[in-house]
Amino acid sequence: MISIKNLHASIDGKEILKGINLDVKAGEVHAIMGPNGSGKSTLSAVLAGNEDYEITDGSVDFMGEDLLEFSTEERSRMGIFLAFQYPIEIPGVSNMNFLRTAINETRESKGEDPIAAKEFLAKVKEKSALVELDNSLLKRYVNEGFSGGEKKRNEIFQMAMLEPKLAILDETDSGLDIDALKIVSHGVNTLKTKDNATVVITHYQRLLDHIVPDFVHVLYKGKIVKSGGKELALELEEKGYDWIKEEINA
Amino acid sequence: MSSTLTTNKVEEFVSHIAENNLAVWNELPNIRKSGVEALKNLSFPNTKDEYWKYSRTTKITKNQYKFDQIDSANINLDEVRVAGLDTYEIVMVNGFLNTELSNLPKNDSITIKSFEECTTEELTTYFSQNLDTITNFFSALNTAYFSEGIMVIAKGVCDKPVHLIHYSEGESVISQPRNIFVTEKNSELSIIKSSINKNTNNYFYNSVNEFFIGENSHINYYVIQNYEEGMNVMSTNVATQENNSTFSAFNYTLKGDWIRNNTNVFVKGEHCESNLYGAYQPTGKEHIDNHTIMDHIMPNCESNEHYKGTVGDKATGVFNGKVFVRKDAQKINAFQSNNNILLSDDATMNSKPELEIYADDVKCSHGSTSGQLDEEAVFYLQSRGLSKESATALLISAFLGEVVEKIKIPELKEKVLEIYGME
Repeated sequence: MISIKNLHASIDGKEILKGINLDVKAGEVHAIMGPNGSGKSTLSAVLAGNEDYEITDGSVDFMGEDLLEFSTEERSRMGIFLAFQYPIEIPGVSNMNFLRTAINETRESKGEDPIAAKEFLAKVKEKSALVELDNSLLKRYVNEGFSGGEKKRNEIFQMAMLEPKLAILDETDSGLDIDALKIVSHGVNTLKTKDNATVVITHYQRLLDHIVPDFVHVLYKGKIVKSGGKELALELEEKGYDWIKEEINA
Repeated sequence: MSSTLTTNKVEEFVSHIAENNLAVWNELPNIRKSGVEALKNLSFPNTKDEYWKYSRTTKITKNQYKFDQIDSANINLDEVRVAGLDTYEIVMVNGFLNTELSNLPKNDSITIKSFEECTTEELTTYFSQNLDTITNFFSALNTAYFSEGIMVIAKGVCDKPVHLIHYSEGESVISQPRNIFVTEKNSELSIIKSSINKNTNNYFYNSVNEFFIGENSHINYYVIQNYEEGMNVMSTNVATQENNSTFSAFNYTLKGDWIRNNTNVFVKGEHCESNLYGAYQPTGKEHIDNHTIMDHIMPNCESNEHYKGTVGDKATGVFNGKVFVRKDAQKINAFQSNNNILLSDDATMNSKPELEIYADDVKCSHGSTSGQLDEEAVFYLQSRGLSKESATALLISAFLGEVVEKIKIPELKEKVLEIYGME
C-alpha cells in the first residue's frame, strides 16, 4: 500500500529524517516506536503533507502514486488519514459542519454527489457510537473545550467517517486514561479490514496491548534501526531504549 | 495662506451642494442654518487630525456633487428583503423619501412621519439635539443640506421592525438622508438598514441617524452594508440613552469601496446597557473605517463592544473605539475588544482602542489583536480533505460568525448568514 524509500526531511535546515525505509501492505498494522526526538511525529507530518518540512531525498509510493507530489487535501482524498497527537481546537466551526464539508469535498473530487442529509446523519450516529462520543460534542465547535480523551475519540470518529486506506495514529495514547484507551483501541480495531492499513506511532507499549501490531519498528535518530514482531515492543517495554541506543552507537 | 486656500476649497465644495433647492419645513430653516454656520468654521477632515488619521477624504472632497431625485417606480427591492419577516419598509431614493414605496404607519405602537408631516415641536425637540452632529465636517454638511428624512416614534412594543432601505444610483450624486428614531418610555423598536446601489460612480452618501432612547426603552439597530462599486459612504449614528434603556447597534460591512462609520453613544441615564457589534472584511483596495465613542456620563451602566474583521489583498481596515467614563459615572462595566485577521502581506489594519476613565470604581477592559489565520488549523482542515480555499473560508466564517450570531431576529440572522455564506 505504501512504500517509503530513503526518506530524508528537514525543518529550518535541520535534518530530522535521515533515510527512512518502510513498507506497509493492506491488512497490516505497523507500530513505530522510539525515544523522544527520534522523528516519529515528523514522519507522520511529512506523510500528511505538512509544508513546514522540506523533503530533501527519497520517495513515497502510495498505491502506485508518487505521494510527495500531492497536497495535504489530495492525500486525504486519496485515503491517508492522520490522527493528530494534539488535535487542533477550531472555535466557531461545528464538528458536524466540518465533517460534512470534508466528506463532500472528498466526494466532489471523485465526481460523486454530496452525501444525502439522512445518510450523513445515520453514519454520524453509527460511527460516534463506535467511540462512545457524546452527541452533544458533535454539535459543539471542533475540539473546543474537549477533554484530552474526547479529542482523541473525536479523531477516531473522524477516521471512521472518512474511511481511509491508511491511518496514521500519532501518539494517540498520549493523555488517555485506561478506559479511554480501550474505547479508542476498540474503534481502531473495528475499523480494520483486509483492505486498509494502520501505522501506530507510540512511545509506550501499552497501546499495543489493545491494538496488536503485525510489525514493530524502532525509530532512532531519524532512521528505523530495528524491526521485528510484536514481541519487540514487549522487549522495549522491559528494557527501555538504552540497549538499542548502545547497539547503534557501538 | 494655506488656511485661506482651504477655506476657499470648502466654500467651493459647499456652494455646489447649496445650489440645490432643498425643501424647508416649519422650523427647519433655523436648523439648517446651524449647519451652514458651523461649516463656515470647519475645514475638510485631514489626516493630521487624530480623528481622521487613517482615512483620507480627498477622494470625496475633490469632487462636485449634485442631488438627483430620480424616478423610482421600477426599483426592485427584493434583494434586501428578509424572507419571512414582515416589516415597515421605508424607501429612500438618492436620499429622498419615496412615499409610494414606503409604509408610514400611525398606530398605537409606532408612528413614522416624513419631516413634512412633523410638527414644529417634534422637529425642534429632536433634530440635531444630540451632541456632536455639527462638530465635524460631514455631519455639519448633512445638517445644513440634508436631502430629506423621516421621524420614527415608538410608543410601545412595536409589532414589526422598521426596514430602512436606501437606494442609490447615478454619477457624482450626493445623498444626505437624515433620520430620527425616538423610543418613548417603555417602548421597543428594531431597525434594519439596508442599501442597494446600481450604476453608481463617484457617488457620495452622507447620512446622519439620530437616536433618542427614552426611559426603559430599547432599540436594536442593524446595519448591513453590502455595496457595489462606485460608492463612498459616510455614515454617522448618534444615540442618547435615558434611564434603564438599551441601545444595541450591529454593523455588518460586507463590501464597499470607501466606508467610514461613526457610531457614538452618550449614556445620560443610569442602569443602561449599550452594545456595539461590528464585522468587516475589506478586500481588493477597499477602505473600511469604524469609529465609535461610548460615553458613560452616569453611574451603574454596562457597555459591550466587539468588532471583528478580516483584511485581505491591499485593503485597509480601521478601528478606533473610544470609551469615556466620566467623573460621576461610578460602577460602570465597560468592555471593548477588536480582533483582526490579516489575510495578505499587503493588507493594513489600524486598530486603536482607547479608554479614558475619570471615575474610580469601575470595571473596564479593552484590547486589540491583529494576527494571521491559524496555519495549524488550516493544515488540520486540509488533512481531512478540505481545500486550502475552503479551509480558509470556513475559518473566516467562524471568526466573523461570532459577531453575526449576535443578531436577535432569527429571519434576519438567517439572511445575513446567507450573505456571508455561513449557512
